[in-house]
Amino acid sequence: MEVKLDKRYPLDVEPARAWMVLQDVRAVAGCMPGAAITEQVDDTHYKGTVKVKVGPANAAFGGDIEVLALDPAAMKLQLLGKGADRSGSSASMNLTAHVEAGDTAATSVLVGEAAVIVNGKFAQFGGRMMSQVSDMLLAQFADNFRAAAAALPAPQAAPPVASAAAASGAPALSPAPVRELNALGLAWGLVKNWCAGMFGRRT
Amino acid sequence: MTTQLISVKINGKTVQKAVEPRQLLVHFLREDCHLTGAHIGCETSHCGACTVDIDGRSVKGCTHLAVQCDGSEVLTVEGLAGLAPGGGMLHAVQEAFYKEHGLQCGFCTPGMLVRAYRFLQENPNPSEAEVRAGMSGNLCRCTGYQNIVKAVLHAAARLREPQAQPA
Amino acid sequence: MNAPTDKGLERIAALAGIGEPRLRKEDARFIQGKGNYVDDIKLPGMLHMDIVRSPLAHARIKRIDKSAALAIPGVHAVLTADDLKPLKLHWMPTLAGDVAAVLADLKVHFQMQEVAIVVADDRYIAADAVEAVQVEYEELPVVIDPYTALAPGAPVLRDDLAGKTEGVHGKRTHPNHIFTWEAGDKAAADAAFARAPVTVAERIVYPRVHPCPLETCGCVASFDPVRGELTTYMTSQAPHVVRTVVSLLSGIPESKVRIVSPDIGGGFGNKVGVYPGYVCAIVASIVLGRPVKWIEDRIENISTTAFARDYHMDGELAATPDGRILGLRVQVLADHGAFDACADPTKYPAGLFHICTGSYDIAAAHCSVKGVYTNKAPGGVAYRCSFRVTEAVYLIERLVDILAQKLNIDKAEIRARNFIRKEQFPYTSAFGFEYDSGDHPTALKKVLAACDYAGLRAEQAAKRADPHCPTLMGIGLVTFTEVVGAGPSKMCDILGVGMFDSCEIRIHPTGSAIARMGTISQGQGHQTTYAQIIATELGIPSEVIQVEEGDTSTAPYGLGTYGSRSTPVAGAAIAMAARKIHAKARKIAAHLLEVGEGDLDWEIDRFKLKGDDARFKTMKDIAWAAYNRLPPGLEPGLEAVHYYDPPNFTFPFGVYLCVVDIDRGTGETQVRRFYALDDCGTRINPMIIEGQIHGGLTEGYAVAMGQQMPFDAQGNLLGNTLMDYFLPTAVETPHWETDHTVTPSPHHPIGAKGVAESPHVGSIPTFTSAVVDAFAHLGVTHMTLPHSAYRVWQQLKKSGVNL
Repeated sequence: MEVKLDKRYPLDVEPARAWMVLQDVRAVAGCMPGAAITEQVDDTHYKGTVKVKVGPANAAFGGDIEVLALDPAAMKLQLLGKGADRSGSSASMNLTAHVEAGDTAATSVLVGEAAVIVNGKFAQFGGRMMSQVSDMLLAQFADNFRAAAAALPAPQAAPPVASAAAASGAPALSPAPVRELNALGLAWGLVKNWCAGMFGRRT
Repeated sequence: MTTQLISVKINGKTVQKAVEPRQLLVHFLREDCHLTGAHIGCETSHCGACTVDIDGRSVKGCTHLAVQCDGSEVLTVEGLAGLAPGGGMLHAVQEAFYKEHGLQCGFCTPGMLVRAYRFLQENPNPSEAEVRAGMSGNLCRCTGYQNIVKAVLHAAARLREPQAQPA
Repeated sequence: MNAPTDKGLERIAALAGIGEPRLRKEDARFIQGKGNYVDDIKLPGMLHMDIVRSPLAHARIKRIDKSAALAIPGVHAVLTADDLKPLKLHWMPTLAGDVAAVLADLKVHFQMQEVAIVVADDRYIAADAVEAVQVEYEELPVVIDPYTALAPGAPVLRDDLAGKTEGVHGKRTHPNHIFTWEAGDKAAADAAFARAPVTVAERIVYPRVHPCPLETCGCVASFDPVRGELTTYMTSQAPHVVRTVVSLLSGIPESKVRIVSPDIGGGFGNKVGVYPGYVCAIVASIVLGRPVKWIEDRIENISTTAFARDYHMDGELAATPDGRILGLRVQVLADHGAFDACADPTKYPAGLFHICTGSYDIAAAHCSVKGVYTNKAPGGVAYRCSFRVTEAVYLIERLVDILAQKLNIDKAEIRARNFIRKEQFPYTSAFGFEYDSGDHPTALKKVLAACDYAGLRAEQAAKRADPHCPTLMGIGLVTFTEVVGAGPSKMCDILGVGMFDSCEIRIHPTGSAIARMGTISQGQGHQTTYAQIIATELGIPSEVIQVEEGDTSTAPYGLGTYGSRSTPVAGAAIAMAARKIHAKARKIAAHLLEVGEGDLDWEIDRFKLKGDDARFKTMKDIAWAAYNRLPPGLEPGLEAVHYYDPPNFTFPFGVYLCVVDIDRGTGETQVRRFYALDDCGTRINPMIIEGQIHGGLTEGYAVAMGQQMPFDAQGNLLGNTLMDYFLPTAVETPHWETDHTVTPSPHHPIGAKGVAESPHVGSIPTFTSAVVDAFAHLGVTHMTLPHSAYRVWQQLKKSGVNL
């Protein structure tokens, strides 16, 4: 089943630092709960894992990530991720993300569009929750991303030199520990969100 | 797997057994206690074929653990006749289902009977709409419910008769 | 015979024979929780089997790792296709002349397909083991939309059929093509359309649904290695056929195979075929030398066992300006899933779909049905369909409504103009069916009067004129004829076995009897109704007639119960067997009374001397004498067997009328009234008939108003639990009103036709007719099933209807 995502997340860091995180595939993976890069095959190919737990059911997706485009001028990243779980779910994602200037010089917006196809067990049994779970997941991602960007030293008006930074392996963004994405926790978040929504507030 | 000793009163008789914590009540009844009246028709607690009566409430045995029944009183369809007012062979709900042709394949019937029993304890003089709502947790594919509703109303009338002592 | 006297009426009542609303013999065990369903059966040493299933709809199997599963304490075996290969059992023949995988070999073809089995001490350990089996898949592109299955370059599903351009039913024009079957006269139909002043055409889709009986499928297989005998308790609607199939597959002679269908918790066509679970349980039992139980869960049942329908029908009618139908043409695209396991008589890959000229005298007709493979579970014929008659009746009744709407002729009136007239029976349709009897005009008049049809139309007009009316009112009408009682063996066979059926009756010395038949009740009440037939034929009270079915070691060979065939075929066999006994009884009575056979009259329960009521012998007297005082030349005993090969199908018919009120804001449809008149010929037990009709109408309501099996683009089945699959509760289910006429079947020994599928066949188009009628004044001619509130709401928006 296919889920289309179209998200904008305001960040309270300037575009330069946001882009520093975005162009670092390992760092980006580190912001996604349950995800990690396990190997870099070459400049544009990585291997990674995502662990998901829906109540008692576990899935460990292992797969490949290909960076299709990395455009420092436009601050844009495009990647294709594909993974399968040993008990038979599979997922693929075509993601385009970029950083835009925010309202002020000190803010920016992380914009992402993705088409996600989930197949197998998780599609069959998780289908009804798919877009809400994705929303929650990405909200957590955005929080982590914001924190990772804010943790970087503020650049001294120097333009982001994306590929050089990647090549030199600096700055060292400490990858977030791989926590299993606990969808019961997500589910509680969903319920809270829904209740809040009932009273006109969205968290 | 570790087991836990439970003591359950089933149809008036105390049963003590060591069960795995994950064992469902319906499996405990059917396999350990050899009471195969309660049936399994789904795994999402929709169909009600597994309905039993625990401490005075209708419960779906498929989503209830055996260990949760420790110290409880459980009534299954096999125990209904024992509750017949005046010590008859069959409880009024059983006789009513027979007389009103409230069953065909019989698979939903034990769940229907145990639920009808409890429903009529809760609401001894129901309207047809109340019967339909009260029995809505039990699915049937054969009868279209019409004769089941007649049967429950028939049993209600029987149970309200002066000589019938409520169980 | 004179009208019975009071004493005679008493004697008739004492028999509780044909026509009596006799209470059911079966009930005693069911109301006390003492039924004997397959999952109730426990054998010493029994193990439990569970199945590892594919999460993907189309994929290559790269690797299966059993090691973690085998390491779990209590696991006895893990089997895959490789283990079945030496036995040549990894594939099995289907009822449709195709093969189906038992366990997936190299490839999986639909989501939830069986890939491996585990056998363990109990069902919990088996479930643990299923989770522990690791299977690696390589995804393949899927075919989900049947319209794309035959596109050039479409993904090929059946590698095992590569190069096979000749199918069982003729040429295969594409790797995903199964068959194209035709009936009727294309030239005549085309000519009728060419000259017709009026034509209508519509695509009528009958979506995939599932019968979902309350009890899922399962078996307990028990191979006795000492005796070399296999016994299998199975949820089977056709135990003898299964025995033959199992014998052929396993090599064990039929004499050493025993299939027992005990109590079955609803069949509805779901329990006809041989599923991989049965085969695997049997193999496991043989391999392990212990009984093996397999009971599927609800998700498995909905996802993998025989689905129903999935017919995409392009139908057309040609007519005169006053609505007289001149011709019918229909082309069908049939989605059969990944294997053709459609349970049809061999010669009819589209079942009895060609009953689609319905109750109408249509001179020229042609139909063609094209079957295709898709990445979905196999099946097609199930769910009270009488072999695709649900689809056929849906088609013709929708087209007649659409024609009526185009010509602005009332839908009852247009039907009356086209009915086969009573004097035309037996009537041969343009498709070659010989309808045995019918009287549609009488039935229609009765229903229209009972429902005050004119009043309803007036009310509808008033509501349409009222801008404040909160509902849209619709009136649905269907006048169906269906065809059941498969069937004459020259036309109908299952795997080569003619579709006759059988009965043996044995009367004991003290006057009670035992009878066994080749059918098997799944709730239809055969133990009660069959005894009633014998009671009337032989004058023995039905109360003392024991009826048994379902054990292939004792019951005579029969083809089972589905397609409403029990009463037309086995019921006839019962009457014929009884008449053989009756003939012998007459001889014995004559001998006892020392008169000639011709001097005796049969009256209710006795042979009496013509003109002398005082000299008689009851069947009870005769039974005793049959064991000790026989005329010379006659052997002892009082029993008979009859195998009945029916000369024809039977054609029950009915008229259904439905009134709905649709909420303009929510799209929710309230069924205000549903009036069902059925004519099934002679009525054996009115109480049981009425119960069957309630049940069939309710299943029809479920199909019409909510059941769906949605697949996404990757072939994931999204609604396979009861969270989503609509089974109505007592709250939604409407109140049913039933009525009847009696037009016996002239070729049936007791004039009975069979009835239990008619309410399902007839009600579904009636609901559509009513819902569409609610929108007809807005130009809507057809709406696709199901008519859930959301879908009806979408139509409300499309038609510009606001609160």
